[in-house]
Amino acid sequence: MVNELREKVRKLLADGDVELVIGWEKGSRALAATPAFIESPEDADRLIFDATCGNNPAVYFTKDARRLAKSGRKVGIVVKGCDARSLSLYLAERQAKRENIVIIGVPCRGVLDRNKVADAAGGREVLEYSEEDGKITVRGKDLDLTLDAEDVLSNSCLTCVYPDAREYDIFIGEARDRQDGKDQNAALDEFEKLSPGERWEKMTEVYSRCIRCYACRNVCPSCYCNECFVDQNDPQWVGKTPEITDTMIFHIIRNLHVAGRCVECGACERACPMGLELLLLNRKAAREVEERFGYVTGMDSGEKPAMADFREDEKQDFIMG
Amino acid sequence: MSNTYIPINMKVEKILVEDPDKALRTFDLSFVNEADEKRFEYMPGQFCEFSLLGKGESPFGIASSPTEPGFLRFTVNRTGSVTNEIHCLREGDVVGIRGPLGNWYPVEKFKGGNIVIIGGGFAFTTLRSLLVYLIEHRQDYGDITVIYGVRNPDLFLYKDELAEWQKRDDLTLHLTIDNPVEGWTGLTGFVPAVVKQVAPGTENAWVVLCGPPIMIKFTLPVLKELDFPDARVYTSLERRMKCGIGKCGRCNIGSKYICIDGPVFSMEEIGEIPEMI
Amino acid sequence: MVRLEKKGFADFIRSLAADFAVYAPVTANGKSGFKVIESAEDIDATCLVTDRSPKEVFFPHSEVLFEYDREGVREVEQPAKPIAVWGLRGCDSRGLRLLDMVFGSARQMPENEMFQDPYWKRKYDHSLVFGLACNEPRSTCFCNWLGGDPHGGDGSDVFVVDAGDAFLMEPRTDKGRAFIEKASGLNKASGKDEKKAAQLADAARKMMNPPGELDGLDARLKAVFNEDIWDELAAKCVNCGACAFVCPTCHCFDVQDEGKGGKGKRIRIWDSCMFPIFTMEASGHNPRKLSRDRFRQRFMHKFSYFVDNYGESLCTGCGRCIIACPVNVDIREVVRGVLSYEDKGAR
Repeated sequence: MVNELREKVRKLLADGDVELVIGWEKGSRALAATPAFIESPEDADRLIFDATCGNNPAVYFTKDARRLAKSGRKVGIVVKGCDARSLSLYLAERQAKRENIVIIGVPCRGVLDRNKVADAAGGREVLEYSEEDGKITVRGKDLDLTLDAEDVLSNSCLTCVYPDAREYDIFIGEARDRQDGKDQNAALDEFEKLSPGERWEKMTEVYSRCIRCYACRNVCPSCYCNECFVDQNDPQWVGKTPEITDTMIFHIIRNLHVAGRCVECGACERACPMGLELLLLNRKAAREVEERFGYVTGMDSGEKPAMADFREDEKQDFIMG
Repeated sequence: MSNTYIPINMKVEKILVEDPDKALRTFDLSFVNEADEKRFEYMPGQFCEFSLLGKGESPFGIASSPTEPGFLRFTVNRTGSVTNEIHCLREGDVVGIRGPLGNWYPVEKFKGGNIVIIGGGFAFTTLRSLLVYLIEHRQDYGDITVIYGVRNPDLFLYKDELAEWQKRDDLTLHLTIDNPVEGWTGLTGFVPAVVKQVAPGTENAWVVLCGPPIMIKFTLPVLKELDFPDARVYTSLERRMKCGIGKCGRCNIGSKYICIDGPVFSMEEIGEIPEMI
Repeated sequence: MVRLEKKGFADFIRSLAADFAVYAPVTANGKSGFKVIESAEDIDATCLVTDRSPKEVFFPHSEVLFEYDREGVREVEQPAKPIAVWGLRGCDSRGLRLLDMVFGSARQMPENEMFQDPYWKRKYDHSLVFGLACNEPRSTCFCNWLGGDPHGGDGSDVFVVDAGDAFLMEPRTDKGRAFIEKASGLNKASGKDEKKAAQLADAARKMMNPPGELDGLDARLKAVFNEDIWDELAAKCVNCGACAFVCPTCHCFDVQDEGKGGKGKRIRIWDSCMFPIFTMEASGHNPRKLSRDRFRQRFMHKFSYFVDNYGESLCTGCGRCIIACPVNVDIREVVRGVLSYEDKGAR
């Protein structure tokens, strides 16, 4: 599959259909690939695709106040199902032009949670990684371990319903449709059973370890405000210290800002250097949006996100009783 | 150990509104504690962090000269959250000051030389400090030429003092405005053009240049054209600041920290900095 | 060199904790950092480089500078006990030494109190640093690129080697010597001990990746300052603060007032030159608007500006940024990229 990916990208660049292809390549860490920016056909061989490809590459369209999206450059982008939904969101929000993007879908079987692998490896450093048929093998000094991929996948992937891009220009292999039966989110069901006080306790326990590095916000394609509310100082909406009150406000408001726009890719949770369970609130918000408005983010690039749209016939029980 | 982060108390003695839009106010502050006043020794070009508890701090060049004891003068432009609060101060209010910070205009080096002071807009603050200092030590310096330009006559700082200095015969003061205004008897034209017109000779001359980035950008080539060497042209740089004492890492341009290596730099030093000013 | 039997370690820590607030690596929820410990059991001995760096012991994430109210300004109470840190790897103890160069004094006027940071000095000047040798460096460790050594102990008062059945300790400063002289439970180390330590040191050094050649990096960085290479190197950076916050030497901070109705406090909080508004001015002008300008600033500061001002790089090769970066920006690759970049003219 990877060879076909490289071949297709090589051709796109050689033919001048695109000037740049964003994907993933092997980095200096065994368990996480690194974003690749391929500009010449010979470099296409750097591209890889496996369970280490955890970043959401769509984020690069809106970096630096949407510099790439506004540049008019023709860009190819390799996407998993969730990443493709981010692109749909961008198109729906008019942040990028469809004619400037070549969407290259790859079949995704889920990406790794580095912390889960580290736990399984007993803290020994992983130096080599390989995968085959639903099993992953990690090797290092005094380490040779084969695991079921299911046991160490990122939380977002355990309940992923849309593993492959739904809208694409090229797909490497066969694009699968909706994966039914995968949307049982046990962790979220447990959370919903808790009383408000218990939920607050759980959230406090999670967010008290936050170091306010904003890795979650910065890797998220849905977060592209030119001035984020946490950076404003006039008025100062949120304090900048990692005190739980301010940190809680940051995460809650960020969740509200991406409600109905989050594609549940899990890039935030994988980016967090402190291993916070960041997806919990995102997925709660996504569930609420789906229940109330029948809207799932990124399914249709022509559809406005739920929070950016008003329909007279939508449920208004939260305000009208 | 004394705590350098704790400001000393100053009382607002006088507030002067400099312009009709009330965007520029000059504050004269006196020392609440005599001990603080005795310890506070400064030179023209230095700055202070002006502290408003609950709002924050903002750095301002000291506009008074060390030859004027008993008060410190600052001119504040209303731009952001802290300066807006400063503009709400009343006479008698107590504020905080940390300083004096930074380096100063090399007045020792300037001795015996001819001084050319070029200012634009409300950047004239530390230039006032320098000019008053030079006047107090008049016999140590040669010719003094001042070129000061603003958009329109309302925007000049220290108007009363400018009028006084104009009358003096031991210095030459050229005031210029951008566009003609009825009743204006001074020069008309942007500062770079006026500098070209009226700049004195480069013989034994030192230039001190302060103004908005665009004015500096266009005046430097003129000075080069007139053959003023980079080592003899000084300016005062600015960057966003917080601690003012070289710790927080915010105000650097290249390896120079504006708060401790500057804000005064010669153009020769600036030429070596990779980052643009 | 002296020897502390492992079975005597619990007592050792107990007696240390009587005189000092003892910080050591502690793991909670899968992530490690330096926390105050009461007993030796709290220490996670399996940590090599902790996830959170120990700079937060002396330079906390947020620190109250003073409180104020209508009466005036009041400093907060200082903790009574001096600080002892156990288990600092060489990269971390060296990092503290570098930070002391910044916070302890001003480079031009070392004796001038105006430039001494009292919050740092009150903690660091009286502290006791136990460096711990690294017997098994990781692939992300690169202290040897920057003059460091897994068995070096730069910045330690007492340097400790874990020899299996015992800790072997060596004083490195007067403070360390004074401590060892007074401490109980320590015996003179034998020739065998010294040999064991040397063997462990040798083995550790061999385990490390060969050092990169960083000669001329400072000058090279200045030479390529305006080149396109920074667009390439910075392309994947998303400008969060993960690298700066886990780094043992990054020290940029913000100062904020938090108050209401005439009462409040002035706080200093970690900040990062990578954040978009770090250099944003009130006028709206931002000298480092582009991601790649901020990215470049971090590396210039670490390997060029700090060298200009203090003679050493502001990086100790701990590798935390390599592990923490959400997009795997690898500081070693950035440095290699700069060194191997050919000027357009030269091609």
